[in-house]
Amino acid sequence: MLLEIEDIHVHYGKIEALKGVSLQVDEGEIVTLIGANGAGKSTTLKTISGLRPLTSGRITFDGKDISKVPGHKRVLLGIGQSPEGRGIFPGMTVEENLHMGAYARKGDLTKDMAEVYDLFPRLGERKKQAGGTMSGGEQQMLAIGRALMTKPKVLLLDEPSMGLAPMLIQQIFKIIEEINRRGTTVLVVEQNAQQALSLAHRAYVIETGKVVKSAPAAELLTDPEVRAAYLGGDLAVDEAANDTAVDTTPRNGQD
Amino acid sequence: MLNDFINQFWPSTVGGLTVGAIYALIALGYTMVYGVLRLINFAHSEIFMIGTVAALFTVTEIFTVTSPYTGFAMIGMLLLIMAVAMAASGGAAVLLEVVAYRPLRKKGASRLAALISAIGASFFLQELFALQVIPNLFDRPEGRNQVGVPRIVERDKLFEIFGATVRLDHVIVIIAAVVMMVLLDQFVNRTKVGRGIRATAQDPETAVLMGVNIDTIVRTTFLLGGAMAGVAAVLYVVEFELTVYNVGFVLGVKAFTAAVLGGIGNLRGALLGGFALGLIENWGAIFFGSEWKDVIAFTVLVVILMFRPTGILGESLQQARA
Repeated sequence: MLLEIEDIHVHYGKIEALKGVSLQVDEGEIVTLIGANGAGKSTTLKTISGLRPLTSGRITFDGKDISKVPGHKRVLLGIGQSPEGRGIFPGMTVEENLHMGAYARKGDLTKDMAEVYDLFPRLGERKKQAGGTMSGGEQQMLAIGRALMTKPKVLLLDEPSMGLAPMLIQQIFKIIEEINRRGTTVLVVEQNAQQALSLAHRAYVIETGKVVKSAPAAELLTDPEVRAAYLGGDLAVDEAANDTAVDTTPRNGQD
Repeated sequence: MLNDFINQFWPSTVGGLTVGAIYALIALGYTMVYGVLRLINFAHSEIFMIGTVAALFTVTEIFTVTSPYTGFAMIGMLLLIMAVAMAASGGAAVLLEVVAYRPLRKKGASRLAALISAIGASFFLQELFALQVIPNLFDRPEGRNQVGVPRIVERDKLFEIFGATVRLDHVIVIIAAVVMMVLLDQFVNRTKVGRGIRATAQDPETAVLMGVNIDTIVRTTFLLGGAMAGVAAVLYVVEFELTVYNVGFVLGVKAFTAAVLGGIGNLRGALLGGFALGLIENWGAIFFGSEWKDVIAFTVLVVILMFRPTGILGESLQQARA
């Protein structure tokens, strides 16, 4: 098990945001955590990255208990994150933003930079542009590229589809699949359950700070409760909608 | 009136640039700390005061300077005093952060609490120096009186511009200030730690996700801001040849004004704001008399902020490259 979260509780002041979340991510997997706004998806990712302190519970990464490791050191252990709202440094160029991803490590970056530009040719065309002046889709690419510059063993993605047009969402999810194919484990948090479940191998459903369901992603795609709550309606209605939608080849299990 | 202005314009300009350079260097400390922590470090004026005391100590107690230096001896002496003052002010700033701000930050206290802590630290340091440090260090029974600083730089006339005398000390103050600001600007924009400072200013949570140790960045920021105040302190004693336990108060308020005037959080804004404030109050003094200097300075601040609430350069460390 690469990443194991056991019964974590997290508080914001007196409010309990996570009420005992447990989940596991195995090496090579794409795992998704779906749920409504405010369910605790982002808090889970922030806690894994060490931005929020645990009240109780345990996080194990790569065989080590990292519950007490400060956030900036978790990056070096191999936890990279593209945060909620993308977190682009607005005053820095694309190139500088990418360099920030490698802030904690030493060594030659040319190869890693080239790899990011290969995944996202668009970023290569805009190396000198200020991050704050880029479009939403470009910023999302930059956020993912920058997270890759940390050389993560597990890549945490917080709502990569947020605020993007359907075409762009397609493109971003294809790239996530490609990143995983090249060997990086992915944990993606999404409100866009349809897309996330089509991409992932396994999925967890979180509601008001608790995991209420976990299953292979393909199973949840046809689960009536999940469909009703997150996929906008019952099977028949949704299938009709799917016919007109752009092709989203569902993935089930390993390639 | 107009004749006065024409006659005194250039001398006032020289004086304005000299004092403006000192404002600008102090303003850098306010602006950097604000950029990274969104905190107005009210005790920064005392960090400056500590620098002037360190400079005085170096001049009178370590070297017992009795007459001004010239040539390379003078430059060497100045660099030495600056090194001591930068170490004293930089060290004091780091200590201040550890004692007065970090514990609050770790507990997630509100920014208002940090501001109160800053004001408290400011009074504490002033009184500490008036009651203990200055009396003991310089063997004076009354620590609240002004202490004269022996002349380090001879006030040689170098040249004239439009009838205004430009002396050696003016040139030294302005050049030293500009050199320090260029160095700091390069550091923040070109080095890795500088990039960490900018990242923290723009988005502290994401900076952590990049592996930036925020505590290190905050400490570095206080160290740099303090060191700049140390340089400002040396230039101040070179130019005004005195210090006192509350020497930082008015200068601190002016430097803070300069930082706001240029756009708080913006390094180049601090430079611009410092020189602008120095010039404005000196030019204004021609019309209204020098006792109106402070009134003029703050009137201008209020007027500029009415039209440009974010300061002259407007953007801040969070947004801008500098």
